[in-house]
Amino acid sequence: MTLVKLQDVYKIYQMGEVQVPALRGITLEITQGEFVAIVGQSGSGKSTMMNIVGCLDKPTKGIVRLKGQDISRLSDSNLAVLRGHTIGFIFQQYNLIPSMTAFDNVLLPLELQEMNDAQARKQANKVLEMVDLGDKTHHLPSQLSGGQQQRVSIARALAPEPEIILADEPTGALDSKTGRDVLKILHNLWKSGKTIIMVTHDLNLAKYAKRQIELKDGHIIKGG
Amino acid sequence: MNILKCLKHAFNMVIHAKLRSWLTIIGIVIGVGSVVAIMSLGSGMQASVNDQFGNLGGDILTLSAGYSRSAGWGGHFRPRDSSSANSDDDLTRTDLQVLKGISDIAYIDTNIRGNADVVYMGSDGTVSVTGVDQKVWSHVTTNEIADGRMLDSADQNVVVIGGRLASDYFDDPVLLNKLLTIEGSSFRVVGILDDTSTSIYMPLQTAYSILEDKERDVYDSIVIKVKDENNLDAMIDKIEHKLMLSRHVTEKDRDFSITSNAQINETRSEMMSSMNLFLTAIAAVSLIVGAVGVANTMFTSVIEKTKEIGIMKAIGARNSDILSIFMLNAAFIGLVGGILGVLVGTIFSTVIPMFMGSMPFARSGTLVTLDSVIIALTVSVAAGLIAGFIPAWQASKLDPVDALRYE
Repeated sequence: MTLVKLQDVYKIYQMGEVQVPALRGITLEITQGEFVAIVGQSGSGKSTMMNIVGCLDKPTKGIVRLKGQDISRLSDSNLAVLRGHTIGFIFQQYNLIPSMTAFDNVLLPLELQEMNDAQARKQANKVLEMVDLGDKTHHLPSQLSGGQQQRVSIARALAPEPEIILADEPTGALDSKTGRDVLKILHNLWKSGKTIIMVTHDLNLAKYAKRQIELKDGHIIKGG
Repeated sequence: MNILKCLKHAFNMVIHAKLRSWLTIIGIVIGVGSVVAIMSLGSGMQASVNDQFGNLGGDILTLSAGYSRSAGWGGHFRPRDSSSANSDDDLTRTDLQVLKGISDIAYIDTNIRGNADVVYMGSDGTVSVTGVDQKVWSHVTTNEIADGRMLDSADQNVVVIGGRLASDYFDDPVLLNKLLTIEGSSFRVVGILDDTSTSIYMPLQTAYSILEDKERDVYDSIVIKVKDENNLDAMIDKIEHKLMLSRHVTEKDRDFSITSNAQINETRSEMMSSMNLFLTAIAAVSLIVGAVGVANTMFTSVIEKTKEIGIMKAIGARNSDILSIFMLNAAFIGLVGGILGVLVGTIFSTVIPMFMGSMPFARSGTLVTLDSVIIALTVSVAAGLIAGFIPAWQASKLDPVDALRYE
């Protein structure tokens, strides 16, 4: 089943009077259960592509469908709801809310989905156990190592049980051992049936994925 | 996200920005506290004035020499010049006779008024002395007796005194049947009024001998009690008409005024309300400053939390969730500021009169009414919401990509 479909997608940024195209006519399909790596040099358009695939941004031209729905036609609120239910984000800089404990960070997407309290707490504990952080639930992000913070970020992404995990340079801020651990988690998630989309500039990491899409100057040059 | 969760996140925002939140709250506290204190001082003052003058009878008219266009407190009253005795506009026996010829008048009390030196048990002072027609005074006056009796027709060298003159004007309290020396003559106190005045009331003829600049059969005012209170306006017209005829004046050059207590009550009430409104408006300026503080804090908060807003949006927060959290944050600041403001205002309005012992409200105390508390809390929350709306709206409209990129 196709989860994400991009048809002739353009994204053009207006920088003063100059138009800067970041994506130029991208056409792509990602089906359920794939492990896809989007690779490319800096400035190739991979971050823009991640934002569009993750429904954080809308294309200037072309159609993006997430689970069959054209995201350009959705209101901000409906898009937020669809995003919250379908995609779990893992960011390079973890992007945890510093004033919240690990547990509260993981609980947050469930609260946004108005999940029943008891069920939400159970689910948050479950995913934190899953990433081996059952004993760190009440720690603030500042009290955790980088690897632990990224695992909290993974737990937060997993909590609403999304179909897609979208990881943007997930090991970029970690040492190589911790990075491998994170990749192992992603690999296990893929094995369990999740669709993984990983954006990276590191070709060695991209090898973990089953499909590699290479971008250059806003075009797909390989794996489209 | 449901409203309780939004409230939880709003509360956490306050907790995690303690100093800034408290500084903002202090702004609201000052604003609300000022409004509550001013409103309660105003209410206290109004209660005090009502207490002193509130029971003026609605069926009483006062005829005075001189003319006021509006016949009220705010009018251009041209009083009788006391130095110009025998002037044409004096109220005299002729006027009294005219009034006696009007059938709808129940009682007529002729008054003269002046200041006199009074000595009691070695301490002295100058107080207002009013000569009244003792035969009718008890029917016309709105004063009530606290102790003793009113003047009666057989009285000569006796006085009825105001409550404050009796209790604390002199070194020693003036008791019933004690003697006061007024302008060198002795008077026995037969009654003490239930009021807070320092006035002395005595028989009219006696007063003429005490107040030497007063000419006999010339009055400073004539107090009239009408038979039918509901017919007051018609009575005023009738009295004016008869007096103008007898005094040979027209509407243009009339030389007397008639004021009704109902009119005075109304004017006084309007004046007090205007004064309260004016003072509250001044206090409200500080509340507006407080609200600007809330807006400033909220804008700072939105900038500071831009990245968090981006994160929340990425994981499924709707614009309305962000809006609710920031609005509730502002409302929470307003509410806490409002509650503390009411407390501070109440404390101030209790303490201030202690330092202003001679002011009217100091005697009856201030009055923090439930109304003023409800208004203060509503206004403070509303101020928070209004001040927080634009920053919250901006926060809710942030683009998630730009917000996530924000450092």
